[in-house]
Parts: sequence; C-alpha cells; structure tokens
Amino acid sequence: MLKQLLLKTVAIAAMVACSSAALAQEQVIKIGTHEPLTGTMARAGNGQQDGIKFAVAEANEKYTGKYQFKLVTIDDESSPAKAVSAVEKLASQDVVAITGGYGSSIVGPASATAHDLGIPYITASAIAKGLTDRGFDNFFRITNFAGYAKAMVGYIKMLDKRVGVDTVSVLYDKNVSTAQMAKAVESRLQKLGMTVHMHGFAGGTTQFSSLINKIRIQDKPDVLAVPAHENGYIAILRAAKLLKPDIKAIVAGWGLATVKMNKEFNGLMQGVAGTGFLSYPVQFTNESAKMFAQQFQQVYGHLPDYLTLYGYVPTKLMIEAIVQAADSGELTSQRIEQALYKTDQQTLLGQVKLDAAGDNPHFTQRIGQHQGDRIEIVWPESVATAPVVLPGRPW
Amino acid sequence: MLELTLQALFTGILFGAFYALIALGLALVFGTMKVINLAHGELILLAAYIAFTFESVAGWNPLAALPVALIIVSACAAVIYLLVSRIREDRELNSLILTFGLAIILTNVILMTWTGNVQGTGWNWAHQPVILAGGTLFAMNAQVLAGVTGLVLVVLLYFWLNHTWYGRAVRAVSSSPDAAKLMGVNPRRTELLSFLIAGVLATFAGIALYSAQTVTPPLGESLTITAFIITVLAGMGSISGVLIGGLLIGIIEALTVTWLSSSLRELSGMVLFLLVLLVFPSGLSGLMASIKTLGRT
Repeated sequence: MLKQLLLKTVAIAAMVACSSAALAQEQVIKIGTHEPLTGTMARAGNGQQDGIKFAVAEANEKYTGKYQFKLVTIDDESSPAKAVSAVEKLASQDVVAITGGYGSSIVGPASATAHDLGIPYITASAIAKGLTDRGFDNFFRITNFAGYAKAMVGYIKMLDKRVGVDTVSVLYDKNVSTAQMAKAVESRLQKLGMTVHMHGFAGGTTQFSSLINKIRIQDKPDVLAVPAHENGYIAILRAAKLLKPDIKAIVAGWGLATVKMNKEFNGLMQGVAGTGFLSYPVQFTNESAKMFAQQFQQVYGHLPDYLTLYGYVPTKLMIEAIVQAADSGELTSQRIEQALYKTDQQTLLGQVKLDAAGDNPHFTQRIGQHQGDRIEIVWPESVATAPVVLPGRPW
Repeated sequence: MLELTLQALFTGILFGAFYALIALGLALVFGTMKVINLAHGELILLAAYIAFTFESVAGWNPLAALPVALIIVSACAAVIYLLVSRIREDRELNSLILTFGLAIILTNVILMTWTGNVQGTGWNWAHQPVILAGGTLFAMNAQVLAGVTGLVLVVLLYFWLNHTWYGRAVRAVSSSPDAAKLMGVNPRRTELLSFLIAGVLATFAGIALYSAQTVTPPLGESLTITAFIITVLAGMGSISGVLIGGLLIGIIEALTVTWLSSSLRELSGMVLFLLVLLVFPSGLSGLMASIKTLGRT
C-alpha cells in the first residue's frame, strides 16, 4: 500500500516536472487590444472582447508547449484620445500586435499611433474609406464600407427582379462612414439605371416627419435606403409608419438587423431589412462554423453574434501571422505584416484576402430581415435562411 | 408644395413648443440668478431614464413615472442650487464651470446606471397617428402631447411669474436682490424655488422626450445647447420670448427641410439665432419691446 502510494507520488511529481519543463520552453507572446468596454460603445466593445478572448484561448490550446499568447486589454472608454493613449500603453508593455478597436473614428487615430510605434494592427470594425488610403503598411481590416454598400445594392437588385424598383430615396446620417456608404450606394444604383434621391441629415436628428413627407409626396420612391445609426432608424421608422409612404421596402445599414432592435422595437422593425452577418436565432451552415458556435456557447453560455465574429476573426488571423513569423525565427513587425499580406482563406466572415493597402476587397455583408421574432438572412440568396417577405416595411 | 408647407408648419409648431418646454427651466434660472445651468439637459435626460425604468422594469406607462421623477429631478436641481449658492465670487462665470462639471458627472451616472444603449418607449398610444385637415396634417400622439405640454407650461409659468406673490418675488430678486430683501423677500429661498421649478419643468420635458423619441446618455448635452440657444434668442429670462424663440426655430428647421435640404436643418436654426442677435442684441424680448414702443408712438 505504502509502496503504491510512493509510486503514485513519484509519477505525479514526474508529470508535473515534465509539464513545467514544457511550459518553460513555451514562448510567451503578448497581443494587445483596446476596446470600448465602457462608454457609449460598451455593448459593441464587450461583444467583440468575448470573440478576441475566445480566439486567444483557442490559440493557446492549439499551440500548447510552443507558444503561449497573453492578451493585454485596455478599455478605451469609447474615446479616440483614450484609444491613442491605450495604444501607447500597449506598446510600453511589449505587445507584438494589436487586434480589435471599434468604430472608424477611434480606430483611425489608434492605428495611426500603432503605425508610428511600428506595431501591426488588425480590425473588423472600422469601415471608413480613408483608413486604408493612408499608406500604412501596419494596418489591416477585414470589413469595409464597400462590402456594406454591395449588400444594400445587392438587396435592392433582388427587389428589382421581384417587384421592380425604379426610384430609391437614400436617407443618410452625414457621419463619415454612413455618408461614404450612401455615396457608394448612390453611384452603384445610378449605374443600374435607377433614379436616386439623396437626403443627408445631421447625426442626432430626431424629427423626420417633414423629410419623410417630402419623400412621400415628391420623391415617390420604391425603396427607402437608410445608412444611419440606431436612434436615426427608430426616428425614421416612426415617422415613416406615421406617414406611410407607398414604398415596397426599407433597407438600412449596420445596427438595424440586431437582436436588440428585434426585441425592443419589434413592431417597428417588422419587414425592415438591414446589413447583418448572422441570422437570429443564429444558424451556422458549415461544419467548422457550427463547431465554433458550439464551443463558444460552452464557454460563454450563449451563442456568438456578429460582434463575436468581429473580435474573433481578425484576432485569429493575427495570431496565425504571428505564429508564421515566430516559426521563421524572426518575430518582428515586418514578418507579421508579410504573413498577413499573404492571408487568403475562408473565415467566419467570408473570404479574407488582404490587398496591398491592407483592405479585404472580398468582403461582402449580408442582409437580414426582421420577420416576427426572428432575423432571417435574405441576401445573398446562396446563404439565405428564409425567403424575403414583401412589402418589407412595418405597416 | 402647399401640402408639404402646411405639414412643415404643423411639425414646426409642435416641435417648437417642445423646444420651448426644454428651454423653460433654463430660462427661469437664467432670469432669476443670471446662472446658466449647463446641467439642465442632463436633468431632462434623468427624468426620461426614470420613465424608461418604470416602463422596462415595472411595465408601467411612462407617465406613471411623473411623481417619482418630480421628486428625484427636483432634488437634483436643489443640490445643484446648493452648490451654485456656495460660489462667492464671479457667480456667472464660476457657475458655468461648476454646472458643466455636474453635467459630466450626471451623464456618466446615467451611462453607468442605464448603459449607452438607445432606449425608446414601447407605449403604443404614443406612436399612433393624429390626422388633421382631411389627411393633410400628421403627427404622433406623443408629439402632440409634448407640444401641448410645452404650450400649457409656458402659459402657467407666465401666469405664475406675473400674477402670484412668489412669482413676483422671483422677478423682484432677478431685478434687484437688495431691493427685494427690503420688501421682505428672501433671495436664497426664492432662488431655490426657481431651481425647484426648473426641476419640475425638466421632469415634464424628460417624460415628454422619452414618449416622443429615443434617448441615449450623450443627448443631455444637445438638449442643453438647444435650451441655451432658445434662452439667449428669447432674451434674458423672457418666458414669452422662449415660446416665440422655440416656435421660430422649430418652424424654420421644418421649412428648411421641406424647401431646401435636410442637411441644412441645424444650420438654418443657427443662422436665425445669429441674425436675431445681430439686429436685436437683447434677443426677441428686445424686439418685442421695440414693437411696443413703436405702438405707443
């Protein structure tokens, strides 16, 4: 009995020693992230952060004994100035790369600071056009406004085939990203021979009765396209529901085809479509995505949403680039950037192949439509979870 | 075009009256104490979030939040007064800095308590249409309610200031605190009363705001700016000027959207504001005084 106990103790001690030795050989690599964990964009920041943490945990499991990734997180409080300061702090803590960030107005200055400090930066949540025109070789992004515009126009083209669309009124928030998206939608629709009426409004506008009435009486559009933000959508839809213009559908930009909007403004959202990558309840079609969702749910107790993917996908790509650089024996910014430029793979956000500017021209958003208590993907038809319901308006 | 213009005028009047409601509390305190309470927008927002809590947690109608919101918001207004009243030198300037700081604190308290999500009422009646003039004029019930509340409170406040002892005391303190003291008026108590009434007005504005549109924590700042512009446009402490100023801004914004472009909406309000101040530096009350003088001669 005593002998058996002694043997067991020796065996456990040997195992501990071996694993300690393995851990000692692991190279610890720090990855930084700044997220709006508090402030006005806290919901988005916390959602992304779950995806980032999951990607790091997954990598630590995959590369056990070889590399150990340590995530350094700083809350940028939804403020561009604090994001810049966060990047400086991350640099002082020797991170080899930065992932995450939310919003073009925050990612812009933060990534410029990362450029000055020579740190590679990747994001999926900053779509403004100018960000990849700066000539930075350290900046990479998975999503862009062109992918959103492509989706809105693709949806309108689909409507054109079904019910005929000649005229589109575009109501857009004059904020940089939404204005760029509106212009891109306008030029694409004009190329299709449609008549487009543009109506910009200042962010924070709360009364749209006069504008919707003008659209109803003067524009007489078939479709209302609305690249804006949450409070704009609610005010516009309330005014539209009041004045009931004779339109066939409403399609919005980001922030509309979300669970929150479906739950909190259900009556107002019915039939309205917006850009969104995932249906609700989430339905993944391919096996690897299903496995990802299952594992994520086991850890976090809920299914992943689009924010999770916006954190997970760029972080995973960045880690793969870091591993390639580390495997070559030269873990430098240049090596990581070179590896990222070679990225060409299918991800949970579609194909990612980064061009010379660090952008992903293959990115195409999807369109989700509020249908009862669900959000169904209705465009592209190849990945649709349900057919589109027309007329796509809440009255 | 006539149909569009009529709808724009109708919308402009409703929003103008609501703008006046937003500005009323600020104008009262400004008129009494020469203090611009830069936390006034946050007080309105606080009332809106209390209504949201009543609706989302208890499932009650936002209007049911009125008694509780009145107590909380008026208490906050009283605290702001107590802090402002401790300023001994340069009260006009130092109170600006103090109330600006309080506005930041209130915004962050709201943000921490209710998060940064966009919130709006699910009260169906609020979004049902009011259709007038044979289907030419449209508005939501909540917009009509907000506009009518604004008009009624302007009239009540005007009546209170001109026809009650306390109202006259407020005006006396605003004209000359020392003379008011000689007449047996306690300036501190009168100033506190002004702040409390401003809190009451902010509560009505907040609940009307939550019923008619969406709220987010940064909204307080733009409410204060709107209130400030109308107060200055009206002329110092002029209650009737507040109503006229609010209506002018509401109408000019709606007409700009209809006749010109929605992009120029905010600009049109600011141009009107600057033009009025350029011609009548004491605001619309100066204009009204000039008209009265002309009438007499």
